[in-house]
Amino acid sequence: MTHRRGVLTSIAAALTIIPMAAASAAPAAGGADYTKLEQKYQLLEKQMAGMAKQMSAMQKQQAALKATQAKTGATKTKAIDREVKRLYRRVVKASQKISELEPGNIQVLIAGDVNFQFQNIQGSHSTFYADSSPMIQVRIDKNIFINTAFDFYTQAGVAGGSAADIGAANINYELNNYMTLGGGLVTSPIGGIVGVYNPAPWNRWLVDGSVEDALLPGNELGVWTRGGLPAPARMGYLTYFLFVSNGPALARTTDQNGATYNNLQFGNWDPAAQNGKTIGGRFSYIPIPNIEIGYSFEWARPSADGAITTTNSLINAVDLNSYYVNKKIDGLFRFRGGWTWDQVGQGIDSTGTFSLGGMSNGGQLEVAYQPSLCGIKYLDRVMAAIRYDRIDGPVSSNFSNGASHEQRYSIGLDYWLHSNAVLKVEYEFDNLSNNMHGNNAMFLQFAVGI
Amino acid sequence: MTFITNKMTKSLAITAVAVGFLFIAGCAANKSTKTAAATSKPAVWPLTLKDPATTESGAQIWAENCMRCHELRSPSQYTPAQWGIIVQYMRLKAGLTGTQAKKVLAFLQSASAH
Ligand code: HEC
Repeated sequence: MTHRRGVLTSIAAALTIIPMAAASAAPAAGGADYTKLEQKYQLLEKQMAGMAKQMSAMQKQQAALKATQAKTGATKTKAIDREVKRLYRRVVKASQKISELEPGNIQVLIAGDVNFQFQNIQGSHSTFYADSSPMIQVRIDKNIFINTAFDFYTQAGVAGGSAADIGAANINYELNNYMTLGGGLVTSPIGGIVGVYNPAPWNRWLVDGSVEDALLPGNELGVWTRGGLPAPARMGYLTYFLFVSNGPALARTTDQNGATYNNLQFGNWDPAAQNGKTIGGRFSYIPIPNIEIGYSFEWARPSADGAITTTNSLINAVDLNSYYVNKKIDGLFRFRGGWTWDQVGQGIDSTGTFSLGGMSNGGQLEVAYQPSLCGIKYLDRVMAAIRYDRIDGPVSSNFSNGASHEQRYSIGLDYWLHSNAVLKVEYEFDNLSNNMHGNNAMFLQFAVGI
Repeated sequence: MTFITNKMTKSLAITAVAVGFLFIAGCAANKSTKTAAATSKPAVWPLTLKDPATTESGAQIWAENCMRCHELRSPSQYTPAQWGIIVQYMRLKAGLTGTQAKKVLAFLQSASAH
């Protein structure tokens, strides 16, 4: 009968909130407003006290019935159980109303993550690395919400040792049941999987990011509308996220073999790029809560890099995020995948002799399995993960040695100390085209979501 | 870190990962040794839902949707007011409708107050 105890506790909690809320209202709201609020509180308080009395009477009755139950009581107990549940729902609703009524209730939460890792990448010195992405989340009222995320990291070998960045700074307004409007800096929906992890990626199974990330905006600075709605014929849910933002910059890079590639550079801070705005969005379908399938696109006219003229760029991406929990498989299975195609149009330099344009694509498939229901202590906290990721040029910055594609296999093991604290070990096999070896890498990480 | 060579870290990491994979495979093979108590464990790691019947749909929306990107955090990890902020944010990540979000919030707040 946990729920009955729970009911009483929540009634007690709700009742203690009321005088506190009323007290805090006094200095904030003035005159008529305050009187009105106070009246509302008093009414709710009375209602709740009434419900509490009713419930305790019923619970007594219920207990008495159960004690003398024998054979006859079964149906009566059921009826009372039902009544207690109904009241419980009313109490929950009433306490919600109270928290919405509370004046001056701007609420702040510090969230985010902290990661500490050791990495050893071939061709570089091994190093310790620490990263913290604190987030400040503020609820202004039941419709307005602010999110700010920072990223602080420190690494041996990096000039100055440490750096800071901003991962989110946005305001969101819930317009109605199906639509939220927003503005500022937000995790880009392009590629879908990015949003699963960012801006505070403690929940990655593997430490290193996917190579697909090189083709993605990462974050967008602009305005947007997003939301979820039921799909027709009750066939699951649909989501949408449409935005207008600063565009990417077009950059030209020449590699050591003399090959020159175009490259979209995101980051939104380049003033030259900001005249070429981007429109983009993501649509997803959630047939059942375990599966989300997404398509995203972003179109822009990136501004010139040096002598290259402005041109068109189009990104298309698909993504899938799914999981399955079942006793039959002794636990939890997760599958995530995504692929992105970046198409950049012709850019002609001022001499007219140099032209560039082309397609880059890349993506990832990752699976993880955790025998969370196997009933063996410690083992139920271990997660094994495998990822395949690949990127095809031209993205010169990734291929300084002239290879045209890179593909990697990563294997990892996580030990979940807690739902939001995890130890990870990963090894990454890296291969470039022409049978060239890339830089294999190993990572150890301790990540905590706050 | 000169005393840790690339080779050493590579073989260490690979061994660690391989041993882990073997353990997990062992678990699957060991099915028959499980106890009844283990079988009745809830499907979500390693939480017990306080009141699934009384707030069924909110709990269900939470357990099913919020699991897509990360492990579920126990309702008792945050206060009811903190859940108000979190659900307002996570509603966007999860693509929930306002009605769904309200139900999730009601569930989390009632379970958190326990
Ligand atoms: C699309 C993926 C996704 C879904 C779905 C999702 N979350 Fe999250 N969640 C995240 C990420 C990523 C973070 C880390 C914070 C960040 O980076 O924004 C996070 C963080 C959190 C945190 C830590 C506190 C905070 O506000 O950052 C809580 C608690 C949480 N989520 C609860 C939920 C609940 C409840 C739901 C269901 C309504 C949910 N999540 C659905 C991706 C998701």
